[in-house]
Amino acid sequence: MSPLFQFDDIVGGYGEVEVVRGVSGQIEPGRVVGVTGRNGVGKSTLLKLLFGSLPLIGGAVRFRGRDLKGTSPAQRSRDGISFCPQERIVFDNLGVWENLSLMQSRAAVEDFAVFFEVFPRLRERLRQHAGTLSGGERKMLSFMRTMSEGKTLALLDEPTEGVQQENIDHMTDLVLQARHDQRSFVIVEQNIHFLENVADYLIVMDQGRIVLEGPAVTIKRADIIAHLGV
Amino acid sequence: MAYFLAFSAALVALVLAIPAVLGLYWTFQLSLTFLYAIVAIGIGICWGQGGFLPLGQGMFLGLGAYMSGLILVNYSGSAIIWLLLPAAAIVPAVLAWGIGLAVFRGRTESGPFFALITLALTLLAFQIANTWNDVTGGFNGLRNIPDLPGMDGYDARYYFAAGALVAALGLAAWLINAPLGVVWRALAQNERRIVFFGYSTTHLKATAFAVAGFLAGFAGLLYAPQQNLVTPTLSGFLISADLVIWTAVGGRRSVIGPPVGAILIGVLTTELRDRVTVWEVIVSLVFILVVLYLPNGLVGMLAPLQRRLAALAARRPKPVEAPPPAHGGLAAPALGVDGCHLSVGDVHILDGLSLALEAPSIYCLIGPNGAGKTSTFNTITGELKSQSGDIRFDGVALGALPPERIAKLGIGRKFQIPSVFTELSVRDNIHVALWGTRARFLDLLKPSLRRWQTPVLAQLRQRYPFLENDAEMAGNLSHGERQILELAMSLVAEPRLLLLDEPCAGMSAEDSQIVIDTIHWARQTLGLTVVVIEHDMALVREIADHIFVMHQGSLLAQGDVASIQADTRVRDVYVGITV
Amino acid sequence: MDPLILTQGLNVLFAVTLLVIIVLGLAVVFGWLGVMNLAHGEFIMLGAYAAVFTNQHGLPFILAVPLAMLVCGTVGWLVERILIRPLYARPFDLLLATWGLGILIREVVEAFYGGGFHNVPVPVAGAVDVLGASYPAYRLLIIALAAPLIGLMLWWYLKSSTGARVKAMVGNPELAQAVGIQTDVLARNTFIFGSLLAGLAGVVIAPLMSANPYMGLDFVITAFFAIIVGGLGSVLGLFVGSGIIGGLDSVVSAILNRTTAYLLVLAIAVFFLWLRPRGIFSRV
Repeated sequence: MSPLFQFDDIVGGYGEVEVVRGVSGQIEPGRVVGVTGRNGVGKSTLLKLLFGSLPLIGGAVRFRGRDLKGTSPAQRSRDGISFCPQERIVFDNLGVWENLSLMQSRAAVEDFAVFFEVFPRLRERLRQHAGTLSGGERKMLSFMRTMSEGKTLALLDEPTEGVQQENIDHMTDLVLQARHDQRSFVIVEQNIHFLENVADYLIVMDQGRIVLEGPAVTIKRADIIAHLGV
Repeated sequence: MAYFLAFSAALVALVLAIPAVLGLYWTFQLSLTFLYAIVAIGIGICWGQGGFLPLGQGMFLGLGAYMSGLILVNYSGSAIIWLLLPAAAIVPAVLAWGIGLAVFRGRTESGPFFALITLALTLLAFQIANTWNDVTGGFNGLRNIPDLPGMDGYDARYYFAAGALVAALGLAAWLINAPLGVVWRALAQNERRIVFFGYSTTHLKATAFAVAGFLAGFAGLLYAPQQNLVTPTLSGFLISADLVIWTAVGGRRSVIGPPVGAILIGVLTTELRDRVTVWEVIVSLVFILVVLYLPNGLVGMLAPLQRRLAALAARRPKPVEAPPPAHGGLAAPALGVDGCHLSVGDVHILDGLSLALEAPSIYCLIGPNGAGKTSTFNTITGELKSQSGDIRFDGVALGALPPERIAKLGIGRKFQIPSVFTELSVRDNIHVALWGTRARFLDLLKPSLRRWQTPVLAQLRQRYPFLENDAEMAGNLSHGERQILELAMSLVAEPRLLLLDEPCAGMSAEDSQIVIDTIHWARQTLGLTVVVIEHDMALVREIADHIFVMHQGSLLAQGDVASIQADTRVRDVYVGITV
Repeated sequence: MDPLILTQGLNVLFAVTLLVIIVLGLAVVFGWLGVMNLAHGEFIMLGAYAAVFTNQHGLPFILAVPLAMLVCGTVGWLVERILIRPLYARPFDLLLATWGLGILIREVVEAFYGGGFHNVPVPVAGAVDVLGASYPAYRLLIIALAAPLIGLMLWWYLKSSTGARVKAMVGNPELAQAVGIQTDVLARNTFIFGSLLAGLAGVVIAPLMSANPYMGLDFVITAFFAIIVGGLGSVLGLFVGSGIIGGLDSVVSAILNRTTAYLLVLAIAVFFLWLRPRGIFSRV
């Protein structure tokens, strides 16, 4: 049986600039793959290539055994892949509630209770425009939107950037719970603590390539830091 | 050159022969068409060069025509008309200039809102002309306007209009080929970028609009005595829109495109309107197709021919040594950022940032995503204004200065994504940077500036041979070459402080090394201070004399490479332990 | 109440209502979708000619409604496909291309119907007594009809959060795609919906003023002003903008004269375009 999600020898970038230069990996149901590396090594670009926001120059992406070539991001979302981008992460011109219920028009506030319990700030600001939220609050809203979609696979780009430690802990719990429910994740992160807590498998990138990878338990933190290194 | 002379001679002969060959009707029709062509030239300057669309040129045409008509009606036979008539072109020019200054001030965009404002203003002009009976004659207009002295008869008016058109073409050709034209085209492509070379986009755009206002007023000045009649429709919206259509169909980007469009459609309409019932349908279809597929209009289709002619005429002009930058001193002065706060809503972008650049050297600015590095550059260069705190450069407080003034003080920057002007040649790109800190506004009218050369430029050309091929369009360069071109542009401006945002982003290892060498070279030869935002620590180790580490909008640590590497707080923010 | 004042009051109410009806379609296309469609007035004109057509062929007035929707829907679909879609990111060209389209539609209609005026008889003749003031029945009917028309727009706006999705798509197209919105389909449907509203407005207007190929010009310009004054993308702004522009126009016309009213409207429009281009109630 083929894996849930598989990408082979991904090459791509912006225009003629190749940022990702041959990255492969795969993921099974209920697993979390963490991708880390310094700024600018191609992690975000990799996620955009996987989701189809950027065109592939080379390689292939498969979901449930089917080649996603020619499938638009909107279609991938309908097929069961969530994407939580790093930039322009929420609809600034919509309210918090509209951001959450945009594609779930029948939803009631109570359907999001599990999230509001841990992010009560957002519940207080349901009617407020998302553009007026702080950076951390927007991050949580974006994370919450992605998690509440309940899709089989979610691609998260730096979910903890600018988020307080307390809320990072809540995010950890929510991802672990979803993993328990057989949902899968590819998470790009620079926060190694977070990744160590949620990921089964780690990929470290540099210069658009994988420089270190393996099951999370086998990879030493010092080795990762050497690659993140200052 | 011989071809050009022969072609021009043939054209002149044709224009001169028309009254004799085609007779009265066409002489009359063409005289009017020539005036519209003059207005269209002005639209071409705004829209084809400056990149903003005037949708209400009728107001200036009408203003000029009414003024001219009133002067002629009231002072006919007196020599005083020669003193008064120029006002019919100058007043519209001044009005356009004032409107331009008012509307463009404080906005670095030329979106459709300007077009809608001019549209509303021309509706206003029409309404005034239509109802101010005492002065304009209201709906019936000014009638029985006397001829200009000595201009009675259709042939005389025709030759006069043709002469005026040639003069207008000459003015437009001069402006478009002058440095001013180059800067206009750069502005149309990337308005935000040229501000940081030291240009005031408000003045540049207002000037283009004033020239267009002048040409429209000038055409109006001639219109009144030529037609002996001025009615409100002349300042209306429909004629304004038609003028834009003619400009687009002819080709807004070239000197001759707009008048070719005006004359061609004018002549064909005269000829075909009554014979082909769907003539207007055809014109609108052609217009839509031009908008969709031919941004350079009909004349643009001749571009290959023009390029060949240009290549025949091409000779390398003798270089002229450029003066030093207006800010004078080469010695890098100190920059002090003291307690800057900048927040948008609840988000603190800069949170009490303080840093000081004392001695000329290479500083690196590092920090995790969202630390505020690029915002620091934006604040120093005046694009963002900090809400509190103080930034001083060479003792001058930068807080209240607009970006172009800060650029003129000698602070240059290079953007992360190369933002060269892709539709300009390599030479023009470099010159835009060169003029920014050296030329005063009126200097931009002198053609000799296009031959400027500096020792720094000569040395850069030696280092990067592709810069020698200066007729190449920047859009044809590779990504790496564009990065280097933009770096070269920053350097020829000879700033005293240079801010580089990820100068090696997306470059191969070899290209990166070339950029690093150039930064070292510039630092030594020009004696300037360089601040580099960089993520690649290998690169930082290679170039940095001093490192600033930013985190959450303020300075976390600073020091040399070794001390930063030993700093545990720095390592912690990079691996995600929030301090 | 003094019947004269009451009549004047009804006139102002009618003027504002009429402007709201005219603005609705452009509010969808320009206010929400961000398409500066200068040919919008021509869609209204097409709607008016649907009424001219039914009248000439002796058909009941009400049949003009489906006819206008058929014509405007088809034209809107074609136009979005051929003209608008390639130009979403090129606002100048969009402005010009739709101006060209406006000329095209005008000239095509002129080729069929000539440049003259066509009257459509008022479907509901006579006057109604309102608290002592006699007022034309059709005008009252329009004031009453505006409610379902506005209701139709609001229903579409609120229905499965279509309005929110359009705002999301315009504000952040990449994220909209990421959450599963098929942006090309949504943009097309939005444009067609705005065109349909324009067609309906044309049918309503036809009996009030003679139809002629150039009637759309004034509508589109006034509608642009109302939207800009009210604020792009705001439902409340739509009513406030129409109220200010339409109310001012009719009040000043009644007290002074039409020219002063028009000059005032233009001056307000220039003021907003220049200093408050986002209007009174802008989104965000």
